[in-house]
Amino acid sequence: MSHTFRLLLILLLSITFQYSIAQTKRTISGNVTDAKTGETLIGASIKISGGSTASGITNAYGFYSLIIPMGKYEVAVSFIGYKTTVKQVEVSKDLRLNVALEEDNQLNEVVISATKKNENVSSPQMGLQKLSLREINDVPVLLGERDVLKTLQLLPGIKSAGEGNSGFYVRGGATDQNLILLDEAPVYNASHLLGFFSTFNSDAIKDVSVYKGGMPAQYGGRLASVLDLKMNDGNRKEFTAEGGIGLISSRLKVEGPIVKDKGSFMVSARRTYMDLFFKLSPDSSINSNTLYFYDLNAKANYQLDDKNTLYISGYFGRDKLGLADTFGFNWGNATVTLRWNHLYSSKLFSNTSLIYSNYNYVIQNMMEDNNFKVNSSIKDFNLKQDFDYRLSNNHSLKFGLNVIHHTIAPGKLSADESSSVNPTTYENRKGLESAMYVSDEWNVNERFNLVYGFRLSNFSLLGPGNFKTYDEDGNTVSSKYYTSGAVIKTYFNLEPRLSASYQLNTSSAVKAAYNRNVQNIHLMSNSTSTSPTDLYIMNSNNVKPEIADQVATGYFRNFNDDKYEFSAEIYYKWMQNQIEYRSGTDLRGNSNVEADLLYGDGRAYGIELFLKKRFGKFNGWIGYTYSRTERQFDAINEGKWFYAKQDRTHDVSLVGIYKASTRWTFSSVFVYNTGNAVTYPSGKYEINGKTAFYYKEKNAYRTPAYHRLDVAATLEGKPGKKLQSSWSFGIYNVYNRQNAFAIDFKDNENDPSRTEVVRTTLFGIIPSVTWNFKF
Amino acid sequence: MKKMKLDKGWGLGLMIICLFSACEKVIALKLDDAPAVVVIDGGVSDQNEVQRVKISKTYSFTEPNKFNGLSGAKVVLGVDGTGAIVFNEVSPGVYQSVKFKGKSGSKYDLSVTVEGQTYSASSTMPAHVPMDSLTFKSFTFFGETKNYVAVNFRDPAGIANQYRYILKFKGVVEKDVVSEDRFDDGSKVNNVIFYELNDLIKGDSVQVELQCIDRNVYRYFYSLGQNTGGNGPPVSPANPPSNFSNGALGVFSAHTSSIRTALIK
Repeated sequence: MSHTFRLLLILLLSITFQYSIAQTKRTISGNVTDAKTGETLIGASIKISGGSTASGITNAYGFYSLIIPMGKYEVAVSFIGYKTTVKQVEVSKDLRLNVALEEDNQLNEVVISATKKNENVSSPQMGLQKLSLREINDVPVLLGERDVLKTLQLLPGIKSAGEGNSGFYVRGGATDQNLILLDEAPVYNASHLLGFFSTFNSDAIKDVSVYKGGMPAQYGGRLASVLDLKMNDGNRKEFTAEGGIGLISSRLKVEGPIVKDKGSFMVSARRTYMDLFFKLSPDSSINSNTLYFYDLNAKANYQLDDKNTLYISGYFGRDKLGLADTFGFNWGNATVTLRWNHLYSSKLFSNTSLIYSNYNYVIQNMMEDNNFKVNSSIKDFNLKQDFDYRLSNNHSLKFGLNVIHHTIAPGKLSADESSSVNPTTYENRKGLESAMYVSDEWNVNERFNLVYGFRLSNFSLLGPGNFKTYDEDGNTVSSKYYTSGAVIKTYFNLEPRLSASYQLNTSSAVKAAYNRNVQNIHLMSNSTSTSPTDLYIMNSNNVKPEIADQVATGYFRNFNDDKYEFSAEIYYKWMQNQIEYRSGTDLRGNSNVEADLLYGDGRAYGIELFLKKRFGKFNGWIGYTYSRTERQFDAINEGKWFYAKQDRTHDVSLVGIYKASTRWTFSSVFVYNTGNAVTYPSGKYEINGKTAFYYKEKNAYRTPAYHRLDVAATLEGKPGKKLQSSWSFGIYNVYNRQNAFAIDFKDNENDPSRTEVVRTTLFGIIPSVTWNFKF
Repeated sequence: MKKMKLDKGWGLGLMIICLFSACEKVIALKLDDAPAVVVIDGGVSDQNEVQRVKISKTYSFTEPNKFNGLSGAKVVLGVDGTGAIVFNEVSPGVYQSVKFKGKSGSKYDLSVTVEGQTYSASSTMPAHVPMDSLTFKSFTFFGETKNYVAVNFRDPAGIANQYRYILKFKGVVEKDVVSEDRFDDGSKVNNVIFYELNDLIKGDSVQVELQCIDRNVYRYFYSLGQNTGGNGPPVSPANPPSNFSNGALGVFSAHTSSIRTALIK
């Protein structure tokens, strides 16, 4: 560690020294906020012009810092959906310039301005997709329940894990290879109701970014992608409360200043209560059932002074499912993030975060003679220290540290005396994951920009406990007891990250990226879909860190005064130490699960095309992805490469939003994708008088192609009233396509001499109506 | 965006209906026919009876279900590395021994030679655990009461046991499931077999056989059950791990047997 520290220090000092010579330059820094609510704006663009030029964007806390020679300048600040603000400044000393932007409700008009609407072209970052909450709110979704994760799945390179499922695959990655961060806290299970809804209540979300490749060095820990979600800070100007009661779900959001312009809070909650319908039944076997979930997001911030701001934010969500007095099942996440923003100088911004994250589930069987209760959890304590350092006009550094302590409690099985089940406690597993990173955004010249850096990650599996080592066939070779805090195994990995762009002209650029990502914590799921009881394991003496290397290149172009945005990206990814299971693996309460694991390689490649109309009465996008994802395991499929379950050849999505008048908005979504790679029988035989199926090759078949058209219309109430309300009408799966959720092979019930193929469809045509209001 | 929602209840109601009654349809699907593979389904029990080994070949998915017997095999059983009991073919693909009784603790080696290839498997017969009784159990889910039969026995403490339950109605195997004592070692066990008895009438009876099986046989049937979603969420299906060499499908099981019949009153 100390060796790397020294390396980091030398690197920093050398760059610092190089630029500390020319000191006639001054710093302009400050925060960009929404004028009406005081919410900080993430990714707002600042452009300085005059005798010299400089530009930049605000960070995750709305802060920016630019370096420029002394003189008179024009500073233009802009953000999509806001009016551009231009200020004249005279720079003779370091200048603090906070800017509040006015919301621009005339989104239809293209505001011609000198600001950077071509951030997608000029930024060296590639593989990044951003969605505005406006877009998320306008796109039709299942049951009118707008959903961040499902809308993201309409972008190229991001694929749905299944019908109505909030799980997603990015560039050939599995669902557990996505790093999902909510205010920096990792969220382990991002779905409700077995995947039909995501845990992210969009009322509480302010910014959504997904990195499919070229991940900046500050992110690490997962192979395939980073989904970075930021919660609203709360209105700093005035109290607002919104609420409503629906038949299925209810929401309430309250926000307001703690001290005007100094601090604010936001609390947002939603709960579904389908189980209340059960209560209407006189039958006790129905009215005593439960089925609901809730989410609670809360955040508060307080600006101590010009240089210090504190934030606390939390998320608490839970699903509860109960079958009368026989069975109970509940699961959920809790995260708490405590942050301190500190300005060491106008150039050096620091954020310190303390993060707690917990995911757990409880299963309870209440049947008399085999009653039991299972408790399982994964708990993280996480310390992050991040610095943003504006070195010079064309160097912007990010560096920091991250230490996470994981505790995985695979299960505590408890039971009454009368039960046949024996109480058992499975050993907890502890691990320490730490990383340091440094990355520099370097504007080499007008055309050539670069973000480069590295992340050094380390993982140690810690005692106490009994640790077994298994051979290739899963037999125990040795077993050893380690005391508390003893290190069983340590892995070091260096993850280089690089993303570069070359500007061909003001509206087009070519970009390229390389990144290595390492994953130290793995989700064990041998089922075809994810389940709340899926088990997490860490690297160990048997399990090695998963490693992915990705190269990507792309062409980015804006047309028609940035009205249209086009991109084409090609990627190739190599993956090592991927995990599969032997057939017949039982994950339930299995402390020897590592004996059943198989390790192999993966490769994924594809091309992603994206064309978006960003402004105007009509806007929307077309996304197309061609991709391949394959795996190779010596013990599977005779060692031959096979398609991974997330392999899908073609993926098309079309999204259109049409603002017909000030009151009517129409929108539509069409998706098409090739079926998933699956294993179907290539013959059959009989075992003990029952039909069994013979499988030849793994994942050599395809489920039928999936396609669906959704439409929605929103009618806004007459403007100018105190209570603003709107109606949303939606139809999911307009032409009632019978998409396959599952394909089963079984004997015909009436004629057992015949075997048949049965397709299960989850959602046919489903209309929805929603009434929205705010005041 | 500050919006509140009032969703229509029937939307989710419909979803719940879909989830619980699932919209199913029989479809046509083109499946490839792989070259046929040998399947061996054999066992030795601790009852004094004719022991049977069935040998067949896989056949096309579209054909009617049948036992695709394979004739002309040489079937030899070794007991604890000594002796050789030869099985004779009594009908195409069905091979039988003379009457004999298997012994707990003995290791049985089955060797099948057919079409120039020899497939061998071995299985050790576990200790006998007798079935105490069959009892009826009913559960009420969403206003509907369903009746099942449960198998009662006492699991021996301190050793790992695996069980197989074969339920027959009118001579036809309706359920063939396995369990192990990982969670209830040494307990009085009452395991429900989820075969619905609601359609049965007074005077009908179901026969349940409780077998004690070895670890590999357990894993074979557990995996077979996973393919059909019998043990929780469906997994990506694969051929269950057979204890036969040379790529034969099927399993050879030396097992104990305890049979009881429950009469519907």
